[in-house]
Amino acid sequence: MAEWDELVDLEHRTVSPRVFTDPEVYRTEQERVFGRCWLYVAHETQIPQPGDFVTNYMGEEPVVVCRDGEGRVRVFVNSCRHRGMRVCRTDEGNTRLFQCPYHGWTYDLQGRLVGVPEYQEAYHGELKREQWGLLEVPRVESYRGLIFASFAEEGEDLDTYLGEMRWYLDMALNRTAGGWVVLPGVHKWSLKGNWKLAAEQFGGDNYHVTGAHGSMARLGLVPPGKTSGDQPWVRDFEVRTEKGHGWINLAIPDPPDIAEVVGAFQAQVQAEARQRLSPAQSELVGTVYVGTVFPNCSLLSFAGFLTVRLWHPRGPGRIEVWAWGLVEREAPPAVVELARAMQILTFSPSGIFEQDDGAMWGEGVEAMGGFYRRRFPLNYQMGAGHGRRDQDKPGVIHPPPTEIGVFGLYERWRALMSDATEDRR
Amino acid sequence: MSPADLRREFEDLLYHEARLLDHDRLEEWLELFAENVRYWAPVRANLGRGQEDFSREHRLAHFDDNKASLVMRVQRIRTGMAHAEEPPSRVRHFVSNVQMLETNDADSARVASNFMVFKSRRGREEYLFVGCREDRWRRIAGAWKIEERLIILDHDVIENITVLF
Repeated sequence: MAEWDELVDLEHRTVSPRVFTDPEVYRTEQERVFGRCWLYVAHETQIPQPGDFVTNYMGEEPVVVCRDGEGRVRVFVNSCRHRGMRVCRTDEGNTRLFQCPYHGWTYDLQGRLVGVPEYQEAYHGELKREQWGLLEVPRVESYRGLIFASFAEEGEDLDTYLGEMRWYLDMALNRTAGGWVVLPGVHKWSLKGNWKLAAEQFGGDNYHVTGAHGSMARLGLVPPGKTSGDQPWVRDFEVRTEKGHGWINLAIPDPPDIAEVVGAFQAQVQAEARQRLSPAQSELVGTVYVGTVFPNCSLLSFAGFLTVRLWHPRGPGRIEVWAWGLVEREAPPAVVELARAMQILTFSPSGIFEQDDGAMWGEGVEAMGGFYRRRFPLNYQMGAGHGRRDQDKPGVIHPPPTEIGVFGLYERWRALMSDATEDRR
Repeated sequence: MSPADLRREFEDLLYHEARLLDHDRLEEWLELFAENVRYWAPVRANLGRGQEDFSREHRLAHFDDNKASLVMRVQRIRTGMAHAEEPPSRVRHFVSNVQMLETNDADSARVASNFMVFKSRRGREEYLFVGCREDRWRRIAGAWKIEERLIILDHDVIENITVLF
């Protein structure tokens, strides 16, 4: 598979259906995208104490994210070095050891193999235990509470990887001293579709709102026939950042019943944000925002909640979504309860927005997978050449709708996919 | 009324409800719920035996609806633009294991039931949702209404939930 220029055509701004349907593209992507990028694995508030752990996936690799005895976050491939069995079998908890249930090999919080049943009798004391610790994901870094890990031994650090996107993450995550905390429980659901269709939508497709969410416009919950608020460039804009990350900001006011509950707290957050952020950033507090950190971590904030989610790849035609709910640490109980209820109603697996997005991604990959359809590319030309740089905000911006951010994801994807240098197959 | 008769009465009510859902009589289905209803389905997790706590404060859920949001879900389907259910799926609710949990008061009852919900869409796209419900019913103006429905789904990773339970 070498014709990456045909799959993502930078000049004509098109993408081949094979990018979403071809098993060979998918296999290559595991190593060249998920094997190289910084992938979100957990939020700091999920594992505050030594011994706390959560399990997750990095692409298709099951991992356990834990805080060791010295307070350092470590990420291990959740697979015993002896026969490959999962060593941590619960979603979250606190432990001192990970013991494989199969033969009992036992690892400590630093991944060291500290227990081998019948070490003397079975191995005659010859097993080099120091060589058989858990596989540790080599690099782990945090940004504003978000913990990312990378399978790449070397490469740019997380700050550099996030690049211009940091400005938008700061706006979202660094408004108050308390920051955000994760609510208990995770929304997990399985969808037909390719993970990139979901990632691109959150990274810069507000064009779909009037169509896919037409039912919500009919009910008056989103402005009918519009994909934006009334403050273009300033508070209504989309961003294509360097390195494939995308962002959407919308100045759509909260409905009155929501504003009534969150209004006072929002004003307090805004006041604090003015102390901590630039004027252009604090101006954005209270807007709706949606973004994708390349490749598969998205954020969405609306009606008082912030959800952080992963689009786990599960084959070319299946996505497993894991979504967490976050609230500001200082939010009063009424705001927390409303935020939680709104996330559940709108963007959970039963969400009145979410359900319809899922249907689009699933039927799309089915309909574009045939030998004939595959020959004809998908159009990503919207807004090409019309984005501009803004003195206050990093990245190339344009008011919605535009696809500059969406195509930015494929520009980054193509660069990674055409680079075979690190493959170890 | 004997305990067996009471159980049969609720069995009939639950079968009737299933029929309303399967035959797209959603407006009539809404009438089964009291104005102050809580309709909720906590997320599930893989934890040690006995460690899952549905009532943990602010825990996420697949549903946590009141009457107004249930009404909105039905209105949304009626717009004809709720694309995940256009054209509508074929849905069948199976209700079993109906059991009275509490019947101290003649005007209230707690009723448990198991369900399987089969959904079929285009071609061989088929889904099965399995779980149990614990309902708190109250007799209001002579008619039984659901004041609380706790839906315990047996899935940790679930499919797109376009059906009602």
